Amino acid sequence: MLHDAYDLSFYEFDEEKDVKEYGVLLCDVVHGRPPMKPAYMGIGWYWYYHGVRHGAATLCLPTTHGWDSRFVKGYPYITAIRTTPEEAAAREPVFRERIRPFLEKFDEVWDGYKNDLLEMYKTAKESRGLKEWQDIRKLDNNELLSFFLDFAFVLNRKEGEVHFIMLMASYYISGLFQEMWRELFGNEASIDPDFHRVMAGFEAQDTRVVRDLWRLGRKAMEMGLENVFKETADDEVIERLKSSDAGRQWTDEYHDFLLESGWRCDRMHAYDTPAWIEKPGLGIGRIKMLMSREVFPFDAEHERVARQRTQTEKEVLSRVPEDRRGAFELLMRAAQKSGYWSEDHTFYCDLYIGSLGRWIITEFGRRFAEAGCIDQPEDVHYLHPNEIRKAAIPMGRINLRPYVERRKKLHEENLEIEPEPFFGDIAKAQEVLRSDPTLVVSTQLPIVREELKADLYGAAAAPGVVVGTARVIMNESLLPELQSGEILVAPGTSASWAVVFSIVSGLVTDGGGALSHPVIMAREFGLPCVSGCVEGTRKIKTGDRIRVDGDQGVVYILSK
Amino acid sequence: MSGRWLYPFEELGKEHNDMVGKKCANLGEMAKIGLPVPQGFALSLDAYRKFMGITGAAEEVVACIECRGNSLDCIAEVNDLSRAIRETVESRPMPREMDETIGSHYTKIGTCCGVADPPVSARSAGAVSYPGQYETHLNVKGKDDLIEKIKKVWGSTFNPTSLSFRHKKGLPLESDPIGVAVLRMVNARVAGIVFTADPNTGDTSRMMVEANWGLGESVVGGESMPDTYIVEKKTLKVLEKRLGTKSRIVVPSEKGTVEEETPEEMSSRLCLSDEEVAEIAKVGVRLEEHFGLPQDVEWAIDGDLSLPDAVVLLQTRPEVLAKKKEPVDQLLDMMMSRFVRL
Repeated sequence: MLHDAYDLSFYEFDEEKDVKEYGVLLCDVVHGRPPMKPAYMGIGWYWYYHGVRHGAATLCLPTTHGWDSRFVKGYPYITAIRTTPEEAAAREPVFRERIRPFLEKFDEVWDGYKNDLLEMYKTAKESRGLKEWQDIRKLDNNELLSFFLDFAFVLNRKEGEVHFIMLMASYYISGLFQEMWRELFGNEASIDPDFHRVMAGFEAQDTRVVRDLWRLGRKAMEMGLENVFKETADDEVIERLKSSDAGRQWTDEYHDFLLESGWRCDRMHAYDTPAWIEKPGLGIGRIKMLMSREVFPFDAEHERVARQRTQTEKEVLSRVPEDRRGAFELLMRAAQKSGYWSEDHTFYCDLYIGSLGRWIITEFGRRFAEAGCIDQPEDVHYLHPNEIRKAAIPMGRINLRPYVERRKKLHEENLEIEPEPFFGDIAKAQEVLRSDPTLVVSTQLPIVREELKADLYGAAAAPGVVVGTARVIMNESLLPELQSGEILVAPGTSASWAVVFSIVSGLVTDGGGALSHPVIMAREFGLPCVSGCVEGTRKIKTGDRIRVDGDQGVVYILSK
Repeated sequence: MSGRWLYPFEELGKEHNDMVGKKCANLGEMAKIGLPVPQGFALSLDAYRKFMGITGAAEEVVACIECRGNSLDCIAEVNDLSRAIRETVESRPMPREMDETIGSHYTKIGTCCGVADPPVSARSAGAVSYPGQYETHLNVKGKDDLIEKIKKVWGSTFNPTSLSFRHKKGLPLESDPIGVAVLRMVNARVAGIVFTADPNTGDTSRMMVEANWGLGESVVGGESMPDTYIVEKKTLKVLEKRLGTKSRIVVPSEKGTVEEETPEEMSSRLCLSDEEVAEIAKVGVRLEEHFGLPQDVEWAIDGDLSLPDAVVLLQTRPEVLAKKKEPVDQLLDMMMSRFVRL
């Protein structure tokens, strides 16, 4: 029997056939929670799957053709499309040559791709005479449709392809480094503080963006605008600032910042949350959180973190047998770049492309609603890309409500359920994960060490120990609840959470491995973090006193 | 030790390389540090010289070469010369004193296991390795047979490949003294080689064990694809097992050995347990630590003994590693072995 996936073909789950073919399918809670809506599944998610397969083919990965994906009750499940032993043998020599440049000059490869992407986004906007968020209203329906098709079939494809060529290379490199680390030193790298000391001290684009926000906040204080921020709701700050010269000067500067860095939605893997450039109040909330800091927290830690890295590198290298030292050092350099890439790419890949999608699709939503095809603009997310395309011209001719209503109802039901963690034989999970090291992006198992008698065991950790009060935050819209110095407990964090690292004293997350956002950001900010605990948000309650031991990768609940 | 030309292994160590040849010196060294090597003795390079001198073979070989050694660029000529010299060497009777000394040491090998004509092997042991395999004779029984086989080992220094190699390099044609190791035969259930570093990648964190049923000659010779095990050196954990075709095995016959087709039941399964692999690897680690270099070790599992005593060592030598690879190539190899060939 096929499980329906909001009428999307080829994503339906066949309990018998799929399990038999793949052994096991694992729920991708990192990207798929809350469950996605049809428009995103049909565009962004589709191109990510294409990207994975394109990456596997381009690098000629010996063990996998990429991921396959199914949806059950709106939640994505992933698995690897494995190669036969004969295919693996034939692909091996090609893979060796294709992965080599990433080991030798990771930065150069990434810089090339990065510039291609930025150029592509710029051209997509400028060639249509678009600059500001509201400029898209100037396009007629034909032009908007053309932009939509360009986005859905060209821009997003290109982004997905670059994204996953880089991701696969970086995970093979990082995975090998962790493996070599374990072989040489006997410790699981992801929870070894030395490993994180070696990997720390790199500044990703996202940190630069948050620093700009902090700087804007400091500037507002210098300009005597602090009270406006303090006394006004996020959404109204800009309006109020516009009543003074100093305020106008500040909002101009903020606007320039948004034009450059505001192309990002709060939720990366969907088009259903606003972008900063669309809703400038989103950035204001973050500025408020940061503006009281005299020094940007990352900068306060950076020198120490970088110095510690250099020292630890030396010490670690001296422990490597001489005949493997050259290889270890080369791999370490490449792995450091891979870890850094893991943070850096979100700005150029997920965030930017996601906000372009939001821009175009919600403009269609607005027009459909205005023309009476749907009730509200945001209902557009329950449509498939083909439906949007077919209903676009002539605008207003098709009643889209029957398509929206049923899927919207299903989605609302799906929001309430707890997804099955996997389908099939979980004993096969390890085998599937090993066939494709990139699958651990979305799936990671805790390293349980009973002798530590901890309440939670992580799959990865950033070093340091902290005791404090827990604050459980289930999604980014609740971030303003967070108080300075608290320990954040969350399902996971993504680039849109970046500001929290300047506020909290530690982190515990349900998902995530050594290359996950919370672990990488926490170690750059010098914060203890334990990731991949699976049940952190279930076991810990807001207000609990907890000890986060990032040196051991475990969490203790001290008092409730 | 001047004047002597026969030494029980217990009296030898690696410092005696030039005296008795590498294989004998290393067998002695292994015995000295308490590792299990079969009982036996070494004939030194002097034994070779002594035999050649007393019997007059040395002079005749020189004469032989003077008369036919001018046109060694032609294969047929080399073959003719080789045949003539080997006949000369092997047809000389062993001088009485040597014959008796060898005989009494041979008998001793039998005494301790209560056998009159104990099966032994007579293996060549050069002080320097030259291309052109010198001979090894297995499952030799009885003193007379042993004497014949020792002479054949000596004579094998005049095999065509070695002659033309010495000719090309300007080395003396008339003599290449080597030692001979005489070892009690092990009742090998399984035998093979352990490389204490992965010979294909030069990865020193991993060891490779190759194994086949019966005597190790099927593995050393490389005709039959053995089972392969990759072992993590630090933990002795078996990381990979590859079932070889093991199409043929070498087993003792009445005298000597015979190569047979492997029964299906045996070729279709791995010939070592993880425990046995770990025990072999453990001895390999010990040898590498002792010699300070990766080793290439011949071992056998004695079917009459149980672990850990069953592992017996027949030879060790510095391992020839794959040419030291560039770091990036080492990493590519690692990527393949860790992620691809599971």
